[in-house]
Formats: sequence, structure tokens, C-alpha cells
Amino acid sequence: MVSLTIDGKSVQVEKGTTILEAAATVGIKIPTLCWLKKVSPTGACRVCAVEVEGVDRTMTACNTPVKEGIKVTTDTPALKEARKKIMELMLVNHPLDCPVCDAGGECDLQDSCYGLGATRQEYSAVLERRPIRYDWPILESDPNRCILCEKCVKVDHEVVGCNAIEVVDRGEATIIDTVDGKPLNCEFCGNCAAVCPTGALITKSFKFKGRPWSFARVQSVCNFCGSGCQIEYHAKEGRVMRVTSDDATFNDGNLCINGRFGYSYLESPERLTTPMVKDGSGKLAICDWKTAISTAAGKLKEIVSRDGAAAVAGLGSPRVTNEESFLFQKFLKGAVGTGNVDSEAGLGFAQAQALMAEKFGFTGTSATIDTIDKAQAIIVFGTDLNAEATNVEYRVIKAATKNDAKLILANMRDVKLKKFANKNLKYLPGSELSLIYALMKAILESGAPLPAGAEALKADLDAVTLTDLAAQCGIPADSIAQAGKLIAGKERVALIFGSDVIRSQQAAAKVAALADLAVIAGANRENGGVFPLDPKNNTVGLLDMGVAPAASAQGLWGIVEGIEKGSIKALYLMGCDLAGFPESARMKKALAKLELLIVQDIFHNDSLPFADVVFPAAAAAEKSGTFTSSDNRVQPLAKSINAPGDARDDAAILADLYTAYTGTTQKGSHWAIFCELEDATPYKESNGSYRKAAPAVKSAHAFAPVAKAAASAQGKLQLLVGAIGFHNGTSTTRSENNLSVSPAGYIELHHTDAVSLGIKDGGQVKLSSAAGSVTGTAKVSDKVQPGLLFAPVHFRDLNANGALLGNSNIVEVKVEKA
Amino acid sequence: MAEVVFSSWGRNIVDNRKGGEVKPASFKLPVTYDGERPLSAFIGWDGIILYNKDVDIPVMLAEYMKRAQTKYVCGKCTPGKKGTRVIMDALTRIVQGNGKEEDLDTILEVCELLSHAKCTLCPSCAVPVRDAVTHFRDAFVNYIRGAKSLSKEFTYIEKYTAPCMDKCPAHIDIPAYIEAIKDYRYDLSLEAIRNSMPLPSVCGRVCPHPCETACRRKNVDESINIMVLKRTASDYEWMHERQPPMLPKPKKGKSIGVVGAGPAGLAAAYYLALEGYPVTIYEALPIGGGMVAVGIPPYRQPRHLLQRDIDIIQSLGVEIDYNCRVGKDISLDELKKKHAAVFLAPGAHRSKPMGVEGEDKGYQGFLTGGIDFLRAAYLGLPTGMGKKVFVVGGGNTAIDCVRVALREGAEESTLVYRRSRAEMPADVWEVDGADHEGVKFEFQVLPTKVIANEKNEVTGVELIRMALGEPDASGRRRPEPVPGSEFIIECDTIIPAIGQDADLSFIPAELGIDTTKWSTIVTKYVPLKGENGKDLMDSMGNPLSRTLITNCDGIFAGGDAEIGPLTVVACIGSGHRAAKVIARYLEGEGISLTDDERMEDILSYFGVYDKNEKVSWLDSASREGQSEIHGAERASYKNYCEVELGFVNSQAVREAERCLRCYRIGMVAV
Repeated sequence: MVSLTIDGKSVQVEKGTTILEAAATVGIKIPTLCWLKKVSPTGACRVCAVEVEGVDRTMTACNTPVKEGIKVTTDTPALKEARKKIMELMLVNHPLDCPVCDAGGECDLQDSCYGLGATRQEYSAVLERRPIRYDWPILESDPNRCILCEKCVKVDHEVVGCNAIEVVDRGEATIIDTVDGKPLNCEFCGNCAAVCPTGALITKSFKFKGRPWSFARVQSVCNFCGSGCQIEYHAKEGRVMRVTSDDATFNDGNLCINGRFGYSYLESPERLTTPMVKDGSGKLAICDWKTAISTAAGKLKEIVSRDGAAAVAGLGSPRVTNEESFLFQKFLKGAVGTGNVDSEAGLGFAQAQALMAEKFGFTGTSATIDTIDKAQAIIVFGTDLNAEATNVEYRVIKAATKNDAKLILANMRDVKLKKFANKNLKYLPGSELSLIYALMKAILESGAPLPAGAEALKADLDAVTLTDLAAQCGIPADSIAQAGKLIAGKERVALIFGSDVIRSQQAAAKVAALADLAVIAGANRENGGVFPLDPKNNTVGLLDMGVAPAASAQGLWGIVEGIEKGSIKALYLMGCDLAGFPESARMKKALAKLELLIVQDIFHNDSLPFADVVFPAAAAAEKSGTFTSSDNRVQPLAKSINAPGDARDDAAILADLYTAYTGTTQKGSHWAIFCELEDATPYKESNGSYRKAAPAVKSAHAFAPVAKAAASAQGKLQLLVGAIGFHNGTSTTRSENNLSVSPAGYIELHHTDAVSLGIKDGGQVKLSSAAGSVTGTAKVSDKVQPGLLFAPVHFRDLNANGALLGNSNIVEVKVEKA
Repeated sequence: MAEVVFSSWGRNIVDNRKGGEVKPASFKLPVTYDGERPLSAFIGWDGIILYNKDVDIPVMLAEYMKRAQTKYVCGKCTPGKKGTRVIMDALTRIVQGNGKEEDLDTILEVCELLSHAKCTLCPSCAVPVRDAVTHFRDAFVNYIRGAKSLSKEFTYIEKYTAPCMDKCPAHIDIPAYIEAIKDYRYDLSLEAIRNSMPLPSVCGRVCPHPCETACRRKNVDESINIMVLKRTASDYEWMHERQPPMLPKPKKGKSIGVVGAGPAGLAAAYYLALEGYPVTIYEALPIGGGMVAVGIPPYRQPRHLLQRDIDIIQSLGVEIDYNCRVGKDISLDELKKKHAAVFLAPGAHRSKPMGVEGEDKGYQGFLTGGIDFLRAAYLGLPTGMGKKVFVVGGGNTAIDCVRVALREGAEESTLVYRRSRAEMPADVWEVDGADHEGVKFEFQVLPTKVIANEKNEVTGVELIRMALGEPDASGRRRPEPVPGSEFIIECDTIIPAIGQDADLSFIPAELGIDTTKWSTIVTKYVPLKGENGKDLMDSMGNPLSRTLITNCDGIFAGGDAEIGPLTVVACIGSGHRAAKVIARYLEGEGISLTDDERMEDILSYFGVYDKNEKVSWLDSASREGQSEIHGAERASYKNYCEVELGFVNSQAVREAERCLRCYRIGMVAV
């Protein structure tokens, strides 16, 4: 500890603390302008200058560490004068368009000038104006308003890891611009604009939408990925005008493009606004809620009484709240009496989670994602975190850049994290098992202690060579050996994995092997963490609520088969577009066979044409309830605006349907349902927020024997379908903001394949698998590898899922020029 | 002797404008800028030096501030970005006849505000401005009152520098690469390094870092750990398996032959290749790196990292012809015919004799020299070493020999030096390292005789104790033998490591290339003279400002063979300069130096660092040191694992935060 005096008060702080932080501990507020807690100090504005006894010049409090015994003065006439004059200098040639500036009313420059008494201008310089960048998508940059605090550059680099913008030019001409001077081309998370203290970086979608104080603000939770970022909706005239996040949130105010700009899907013309039922001519006709509910309830009763409850099935959604999921399964399992309940989690995440629960005892992730910040070694396996959980990616970047973590990346493609990775293990499609075993072997060979019970596994691993395993995944053995060295012996290890494992062929064996890898690497220890991730916001909550097949009932594929065989006659789709699932051609055929299809959704989707009853639902911004993040934080969302037209929140619809079906009143308010489900779920409250109670930790780990890897499909072309950072699910493909930077799907292929197939960048390419074919625009890129093609899952026009077979997100395809 | 009209340099006012008795003032500046044009004035971070009263001070200052603000001010702090602009515009207004007297007050006030700036550049630019407005106020007022300039036209040439950058023989933009680390931009940091230094992994490890002796942070507490920060940037790229981003310009026609793949040759090849020139290096050894590869031990410079740097250079298209000794496998004449230009950088790989009785008898166990011993050890050849090794010398090579001897299996490794430990030319940390590993030292002794048995095997060495005599001309007290103090130490191996020079026998006399008696190659230079009329020399005693072309057209020389045996970084600086001169030569632009190069040389003589400057700063962040492997086993048999481990990145960022960013601008009027 270091002792010092600030303005006569004695202060004790840890070594390395800055004067600014030390002052804050005793309630002394030193003025700042360029300082931003979440990035490294810049010392640009000089407003925090303080006097230190014995030092002739002023020192900036934000970036000067304390020293034993120093006497700091933060407020003297000389300092006041200097700060005022520095503000006057800052204002030299600053535009006077405050009346129409987006930042007016929430401008730190205004506040600082006012606070520091810069009420007149004594200095002048020749006026030079720099062009405003209207040519950037999503954002607009007016360098004339910029005060060069560098917050945007630092957030872009240190938090987002993107390096899209930097300080360019010299002297008075110094501005923040793109690295190459071309229009901004980045991941458009908007975190730079969010930290801009002035109106220099603004968001186009918000420009001239209103004065900052004129919006109704509510705190809520983001409804895209599972990171569970805390957000604030700013609404006016029944419209969400922007989404922000405070730096004091769990996510440090950092969002991604979906979180910050995805809200424009709320105004999509594809929103469903009225209930509908199929009329006599087989067409969907607008009706009132009463008709829709009674039609659905009546037809369901009819089918159940005729064919039994097993003829009914329901598929839920990771998009809806816990309360809604609870009510959905309560209705189907309790009221209707069918166990045929599932969701897209049945494509792999549910199984992976069950396996984790069996092996370790936890669901969701084993620790909260902030654990990753302090990890010493991180393995990111089979996930593009930028697309599947951006805020988890930010955590990894923070750990790797600021906290000296070693990062091992295992992916079939080069993903954004590559630039932070110490080892980028780009493995051959389908070779995950070999790579997992190779990593285990490398870690053990680097001297990591053998965990109890792993003797048999070790014997199995001893029977294969690292060279052979490495060859199977197409990676130099040396790279894997080095990766092992980076992991072995680390106290705090995080293992993060996602769709490319969870939805791979042989997923069960691979996930089980990853669990064993977690134990060998030590990720299951205290301060470490095992993080299975799903790209949707409430997948963990959905499973917690029991939206999963009952014992001996049908899951997703069983339901589809049941429909095909005619044993299942009614299907309830809540926020689930089955027609866009893998094998979509087959799905559509099945949907057409149903006697009753209830589609409850916020959008016109591909299942809608088959619907008998349509319930228009409310989106997340239009309702309250709770979501459970991937890392088990149960967080409340709050209603910001009304749903469009007659759309209602899913809970209200479900409650009415329940009441109509059973004749007993079901309460539809979220709070009532929460109270109901709280009894059924081990939630615990701390500091006003809910979290699932910690599961019983299993003391002994049962290692799986080394499984035989399926023969690799070398020489054949494989299509991988997955998420990209610009979108989440299909929701954001209805968001104008997202579409402005990522308008359409594409098919990414390696240049060697492009050459051998005679396909040019931008040309049309057709992929055919046993499930169906997909045609799209070719994007030649070496981020994939020879033999591997990639298509984003989000776009309904491309319908990449149409080529997939079963649960797997990768499929063998024939590729030709279209 | 040039007479100073006015000087405020170093806050010491000398004003001879009014006549009367001339007060003398003397500065380490050449009387001419380029051997021809007189140097009329110099302004910079510590004031004004005026030799010619006709220099228009307001105009010069206005120009100085304009260049500072528009070309160098980083814009990263408010006073710097805006304040310098306010001053620049006020000065411009004044010399254009639109100024007011209040402008002078504003200028002084803003100069004062600049003391709050983030770094040193803007406040240091305010110094000559403040001096001018104070001491040449009349000249400004004349302009304000409408007078027109009557003085002659002068050309102004400015140079952006920093004490560390000036002191670095390769003139790396050190503050830039440190600032990039502070911003977590290891890639930009390495880019800044590579602009002047193509062997960053090497100079991040084994550089004697003269820059750190000229670090202004030393005036606060301790210098910045500049070298290890360089290693951090270099290791980051390697540890993250990143591909270096450099791309050469389109291929040019004229090719260059380089003799020697050492630091100078590699540096020249790198910069020429980036310009698009085809380069072939002719290397006598089977490996590249020159003295780094065969002189510096692998526990200080891991060979795979040296090789990585060389591979990167080769990836730009540089060809290296190994095992090709110029003068034996190919003649210099042939090279000259084959290439449009030839750069001689053979290095200094020849051991100097010791001058001891018995050294020429060919005894078994008496090795030819330290550098030969090291070369054999690194190349895996028999070294001829026994179990009790005795090394003579006090430089880094001698230290390397005793430490390598331990790793090659010596049971006893002893170093003898004729002066005291404190006087050893070897780097202190190297001597400490040897001590740590169990090397024995004998100071103030001189070997006098090699002792051998009847089988002509070395059995010992006779030594005599030395005592300090009277100080010599250099002020150093010379050690002198103490009569009767002879004694014998038993050993089976003697390695003389008292220095090396270049073997220039490959240069045929008919080419007309001059060499010196110290076996160095003579190159052409700018005839800069000091106030006393003498030629200006650099710290190695060579002419200060050299073009590196020999007396033979098309043949250039650099590195140890031109400078005299020095350091990796000096050789890299030399190779870089040679590359620039050669490129201009090949483009038909002659071989004269650019303004930037001239100013570089002038400032390095003038001195940018002032060890007496009082630097006001809170000394609350102490210097970070890299961790290292401890214990004698680090020097166990064949253990060449790296001893020093570098920084972890967060430590590097903390260290970078300590940098005061001491940029400054000097400008001459000629």
C-alpha cells in the first residue's frame, strides 16, 4: 500500500493506482474529459492536471501513478486558471452548431466548459474546416467537432480489437479517420460513437431523432446473443430510437452491431400485426384475438380428443422470456398433456448442456464470463465468438491484450480472434476429436499433472503419437505441442466452445472429449471456467424452463417424423421458423401435412404459409420478463414501447390459450408467472439480481475413453453453415441498420477451390447436398480452407440451412457454377 | 572562429548585437552546413544560436512554428494541438504585416500554457519562440508597424529528433515505437522499428542500447528500458504467428551485390529490397547473421529468432549465397561486373594477436582467438578446448568465451583482464551474468608467457600483476606491470579475446580502395569543420558525415569493416545509410547526402541529450526489468537456452507509460 495526501486528506491505495483513482477513494473529484475507465489513460485533454509538491510542472492525475508520501493538490487558483485556458484552447474553432448537434444536452465538452468556467474565448486561429464523412455506413464523422480525446480509437482497439480508426495527420489537421481514409469498414458495433464525448461520431439512425432528454428510457437486456448485455432503450412516439449501454453495466457499456443497431427490426414491414386464421378457401384471413384463440383451442381439443395428446407437438424459442417458455411447456405438457416439446436447442446445445450437467453438474456456463478477463490461458474451440457471443469475445480480447493471457484458437476458419491468438489451430473439417486428443496429449506432455481417473485415457493417448493426431487435423505437430506448453501449468484456464463442436457430426463424443480436455487443462478448477455457448439469447433459460422433450416423448426430429408418419397432427410453433431449419425442404413438406399449425411469431416467416392460426407476438423491447444469459444471470427486461398493431406478448397469448383450452384462468403477467416458476427453479437473489443457484459440483470426473474419429472426408467439399458478426439469427435480417452493412448471404470458398471449379469472386455458385441445394454469390476468401465452404445461416433468401442434414452444421456438397 | 551574434542556448544569454566587448560562446556545430554554405543560425529546443545578424528572426521563428505545427505536432493533447496553432497563426500574421502588439502577449501566454502539454515537443518548440519574442521584440514590433523585411533570403532546414533517437546509431524512432506499445499497438511499434532496424529480435536482445544513456527519463529516475520494449514488439509478432506486413516496391532492373550477411549487409539488403532492387548477398559462412551468428552466444540471441529475421529479409526477395567467400569463390572484380553497385560489409572476424611469449609456437590448447573459438562452438565444429579454460580480454567477446566455455564442458573457466572490473569494456550485465554462472576472474594481471609441456600441450600461463601508473593523455591511468609479481596459473586452454579486425585481403589493390592501418575501408565524407577549423569526427574517430562510397565508383562500404569493430546497431545504421545512398546512386541522383541525413549527423555531433537538464516529473513509476533464468544450471553443458526472458506485455505497457516522449525540432538557417 502507498500512503499519500490529496488536498490535505490522507489516502492509502495500492501501488500502481493513479492519482485520479486515489482521489476518488476519498471523494475528491478531479475534472476529466478524455479519461474513460474501460480503456488505458490517454492524458490528451490535460484537464485533470494537478500539482504535486516538489514537482515543478503539473502532472495529469489520470495517468500518473501515486508515490509514497507525495502531497497532491487538485484545486488551486493556478490550476483553475490553467484548466479554464486549456478549455478555451480546446474551443478554438470548435463549430457552434450545438443547437443541431446530436450531442447537444449530453455533450461532455459543453459540461466541461461550463464546469471549468470557460465562458469566453481569448484565442483565435485561422479557421479550417474538414469534410464531414457522410459516406460511412451507420456512423457519421464530423472531425470539426472532435476534441481528440481518443476514446473512440481506444475503444475500437482495446475493447473491440478492430483497428478500424486511428489518429491521422498532424497539428491542427489531426483528426480521427479510418486507417486507409476510405469509408469506414468495420464490424459496426458503434462502441466508438457511444463513447464520443461530443457530436463528432454520431449514429445515422439516431441523427435528428430528438434531443437526448426527450426520450423515455428504460433499462433492459439485449435480446440477440447469450452474453446478456445490459442495455437501455430510448423511445419516443412509440418507437425505439436508439439503444445504449452504460459503462457501469456488466458489459462495461460495450455492445455489438446487433445490440446497438439491431433494434430497427422492430419496425420491419414484415412484422405480424394481426391474428389470422385460415378461412374456407385455405387463405389466412385477419381476425380478432378471440376468434384466433378459440379456433386454436378448439382444433387442439378436437385433435386431442380424437387422436390423443401425443398427436400434438410444440417447438419453442430461445428468443422469448423465461416466463413465456415456462408457460409454453406448462400449456403443452400440463394442459394438453403432450411431452413432444422441443426447440432449436435440440439441434445440439441441449444435448451438450446435458452432457456438461452429467459430467460437471452445471448448466449454462460453469462461471460468469467476467472470469475470462483474468484467465491465464484461454482455449476457444469451434466458435467464431465475434458472431456467436461478441461480448465474450471482448472478454477474451481483454484477457489476451491487457492481462497477458495466452490464447489458443481452434477453428476451421480464420476468425477475428486470430490476430490475438498465440496459436491458431486451423483444423481440417471434422477433425475436432483428433485435435482435442492432440491437445490433451500436448498438455500432459508439457508436464501438467494427470488428473485422478484419467489413467485409462492416458494409456489410450500413449498409444497414439502427436504426429499422427496432428496429421489427422492438418496442423503441424509442433504447433499443438507449443499450444500444450502455453496451457500446461496455468492456474486459471478458460475453455470456450460453440456451434462448430456442438453441432458437428459425432457431437456427443466431441463434447465429452472437450469436457475431459477441460479437466486436463484445469478449466474446471476454481477461477477457471467451461463455457459452452449458443448464439441465441435465452437458450439456457429455455432449457431451464423445461422446453425440452419429456421422457419417452419426441424431440425435434421425432416430431418431424411423427408428422411425416401422420401420428402428429398439430404443431405449435412459438418463435420458431421450422421451415428455415436444416433439411428445410423436408420441413416444409411436413408442415404442409399438418392438420393444425399454430404459428406464433413477430415476423412473417417461412412457416407462415402453412399456418392455420397465426398469433402476432411482441418483440423483446415490447414486453417485460426475464432472460437467462449463457452464464446463468437471470436478468429482467423492461417494456419500452407497445407492440405494433394487435400484436401481444407471448405470455399473454399463452395465458389466453391456456385459459381457453382448460377453462381455468391462467395469469398472463410476467411477474405472476415468474413467481410461479420461481418455485420450480433454483433461482437465488443477490444484490437485486437473480442468478441460478450454483449446481452441486461433481467431485470425481468420469473420463470418456478415446473415441474413434470418423473417417475424414478429405478430397470432398464441405459446406459449413454458421453465424456471422453482422447478424444474429434471422431477426436482424429484418433490421435496416444491419442490412445497410450486410445486405445478403454469400458462399465463401477458398481461392484454390475457386480456381479449380472455375468460380470467380462475385459469381453465382450452386451447392447441392442430399438435403437440397443452395445457390448464392461466391465470395473468394482464404479465411476458409481448401475443401471448406462457408455460408451465413441468417439469410432466408440464401437459406443455407436448406443444404444441411440433421443436426450437423456441416455437410458434404457438390459445388458448381450456377 | 565563427562569432556568435546572439545565443540563448542552455538559458545562457550571450548578446553581441550591441557591440562592445564580444562575449565568447562556443557550440559543437560545424561552420558550414554542407562543407560550403555557412551555417547562419540554429534554433531548437533549448533556444537560439545566431551566427549571422542578417537572419530574420521573426521570419525564421514563424517558419519554425509552421513546420512544427503542420508537420510534427501529434495533435494528441489540447495545448499542443491548439496552442501551437494559435502561436503559428499569430507569428504568421505578424510577419505578413497584419499583427498587433497584443499578439506578442498572446504568444508568450500560450507558450506558458504549453508547459501543460502531454509530451516535450510543443513545450520545447515554445522555447526559441519565447526567447525570440523576449530578446528580438523590436524585430517583431517593426513588422507589426509595417516594416518590410530587409534581410537576405535564407534556406531553413529542420530535423525532428529525440535524445534517444539521436543517440541510437540506427536512429530508430524510439518514442514512436514506445508510444505504440503504450497503445497496445505492437504491430505499429514493430513497423516504426523496422523503418530503421530490420533485425528487431536481435537488437531487442543484444543491443548495448546507447539510447538508454541518452534517455531524459534518467534525469527523473531511471532510463526507459528501451531495448526490451523493442524485443516486446518483435516477440509479439513471432509469438502470435503473424506474418510481417512489408511489401517491396515493384522490381527494379539494377542489382546490388552485398559482401557479408551480417547486420550491415542484411540491413542494406533489406532496405534496397524494399525499394525493389534485386540484391544478392555473398556470405563466406554457411549461415547468415555475421557476428551475431558466430559471435553472440545463443543464450543471448536464440538462433531461430535471428533466422526468423533473416527469413523475413529473404522473403522480400533477397538472395543469400552461402559458403561463398569473396576473393576466393568469386572475385570482387566479378561482383563489380555482375552488379550495378557493390556494398562491402565483410565485418571484423579476424582475431588480433596477444603479443605474448609462446603464442606463435602452435601449442595444442592455445587457440587462435575468442571469435574463432565462438564461431567453431556455434557451428558445431571442434573447438580444441580442454577442461581448464583461460580467456584473456575484457570485452564482450571475452565474456562470451568464458560463458560459452562452461556450456561446452569446461570445468574451470577463468577470465583475466589487465585493468579492474569497473574498467572492463564489456557490458556490466554481461560480466554479472558470467559471475552468476561461476566464471572466475583475475583482474589487473597480464599474461606474459604461454607454458607448455614437452608434447607441446598448453599446461599453464605465466602472469604478472599490474598496478595503475600515472594518468595518460586521455586522463586514464595506465596499468603497469609490478616487477617480481609473476605467477603461474594451470590451464589446458588459452583463448586470447583481445579484439578483432577486418580481413580486407579480398580487396584487390588495383581497385584503388583506400584502407587504414586499423584495417578499415575508407569512404568519402562531407568536409565539415568545427569552429577551430578541424575536421569533425564521430566518436569512433571517423569523419562525422560519410557517404559510404569508396574511392572506387560503384563500390560502397559499411559495417565493422568501415567503422571499425563496433556494435550490431551501428552496423545496421551504417547498412541503412548505405542503402539510401546506393539507391540514389543507382537512380543517377549522385551520392550526396540528403538534408535529413546531414542534419542527422550534425545533431549527433551537437548532442540532443543534456544530462544536466532538470526534468520536472513525478518519479512514481520505476523502471521495469525483464525476468531471467537463475541458477548455475542455466550454464550447464550444452544449455544454450535463452537466459533473459523479456517482458510480459502488461509489463511492457507499464514501462512504455514511463516514456516522456522527448521529441524536439532543430532548425538551421543557411
